[in-house]
Amino acid sequence: MNMPRRDFLKVSAAGLSTGLAGLAMPKVAHATAARAAPKVVVVGAGYGGATCAKYLRVWDPSIEVTLIDPSPHMVSCPMSNWVLAGLREMSDLNKSYAPLARYGVKQVQDSVVGIDAAKRTVRTQGGKTYAYDRLVLAPGVEFMTGSVEGYDAAAKAEKVTHAFKAGPETALLRRQLQAMPDGGVVVIASPPPPGRCVSGPYERACMVAHYFKQHKPRSKIIMLDGHFQIVSKGPMFQKAFNKFYPGMIEHRPSNMVTSIDHRTMTVSSDWDSVKADVINVVPAQRAGKVCEMAGARCDSAKRWCPVDFASYESKGVPNVHVIGDSVLSNMPKSAHVSNNQGKIAAAAIVELLNGRQPDPLPVIGSTSYSATSDHTSGPIAVVMRYDPGEEVYVRQPGGGADEDSDELNFQYNLAWFDNMWADTLG
Amino acid sequence: MIRKHALAIACCAVAPFCGNALAADTPPQTCLIAGWENPASICETHNRTLASTCFNCHGPNGVSNSAIPGLAGQDKAYIVEAMKAFRKGERESTVMKKYALGYTDAEYEALAALFATMQINLADAKEGQK
Repeated sequence: MNMPRRDFLKVSAAGLSTGLAGLAMPKVAHATAARAAPKVVVVGAGYGGATCAKYLRVWDPSIEVTLIDPSPHMVSCPMSNWVLAGLREMSDLNKSYAPLARYGVKQVQDSVVGIDAAKRTVRTQGGKTYAYDRLVLAPGVEFMTGSVEGYDAAAKAEKVTHAFKAGPETALLRRQLQAMPDGGVVVIASPPPPGRCVSGPYERACMVAHYFKQHKPRSKIIMLDGHFQIVSKGPMFQKAFNKFYPGMIEHRPSNMVTSIDHRTMTVSSDWDSVKADVINVVPAQRAGKVCEMAGARCDSAKRWCPVDFASYESKGVPNVHVIGDSVLSNMPKSAHVSNNQGKIAAAAIVELLNGRQPDPLPVIGSTSYSATSDHTSGPIAVVMRYDPGEEVYVRQPGGGADEDSDELNFQYNLAWFDNMWADTLG
Repeated sequence: MIRKHALAIACCAVAPFCGNALAADTPPQTCLIAGWENPASICETHNRTLASTCFNCHGPNGVSNSAIPGLAGQDKAYIVEAMKAFRKGERESTVMKKYALGYTDAEYEALAALFATMQINLADAKEGQK
């Protein structure tokens, strides 16, 4: 990062005074020399964790940053619905972690199996232990598949996917759609919020419909929606359903899936039952497993992680910060918000480790694009300001979703992907 | 930061060696965020972090590799005027009006000042594209 002028002057002055420091401030100079590099361990290298690790090093290269994730590369959830439409390949979702090395982020490919918050250590499956001064948890969500009867058995038989963590399930869902006969039925089901990427299922319906329109035009998509209406970008999606895919997508609100019988390929809610050829059910979610290990999954339902919204430090465990989808908040659980929370947490940790007060009033921007066809997308954008009195981020007036998707926003959607990956990974 | 504070103090002690450039650019001791007075370090981290939240769309360090315009090296007055025009709807936009309505005039100024100092480094831009 290029330094603002003021910082440049500080560093120049520092360089100049080094030779004199021994003379001018011997005691302080001695204390500085004895100080060990502070250690931050970041668990989870998605949009939140990777961004946080990078910006910790950008803003204070004296901090030793270790980033732990089992995956050899990032697999992007944004754009993963495009694979279902045949607009992108699975390989397009894979983003290398290699550029993070330029910032001096130490990368460890391993899974965290234990966290000792009292001793401030993290233990991995590979048998290593990492000590930290500050720990950042960015694991994304854990899927509560047990909340839907028959889900686990159906998943074992490869008869249901959620494909809400991009990877093998995305590829499996794509193959199932390809194998399905023309005239078949797909169920896309989503839980009521809070959960990851609430606009994702509706974009997915558009992308699957786009594929059907080209290859299987007699097929149908039934959306069983746990919410009473389209949660995000409602008018935009409704218009796109009608304009691009008339009669193909049926949206059934207030229809949370309660059971799946994969032998009869039946998906049921409290008052509905649908026979399907392909079953895609996103179950309810909670904060990732490592949050539980640290004791940070500590809201009353033991589901999400309450944090101090200025520093993202857990309200349950000191020196443990949580960012991204696992946080208990009214903010969208999106890649854009995870990335920005990563920066706010990094900035706060830099201030704390340097004995300064973090910014008490952070401001966060959130943009999310959804594609509605192979040439149209629509955005939602909002600025949110932390209100310490109410302990919430307040949405500023003027933000919201567009009522139409169009070609210009499709171009910006593509541009957003490129710059998001560049900002997150290097 | 213990070290930086120590050096800042050290620098004052050897002020004659620091030259006039530093004296001319002495940072303010306090600053305002949302009407509250804060130590200068808070405004520094607040503004730097806020600027970084623009990079998701406009590219790291304000250097864009895509259809979204970059911000690095843009004239400060131009950015402030553009934000005001977005807010009033005088300049066409997709999401920028929504953002402009969410930020204050003081934030336009602080952000524009930071973007103006950022350099367009094409080598970095190419690297980011990979």
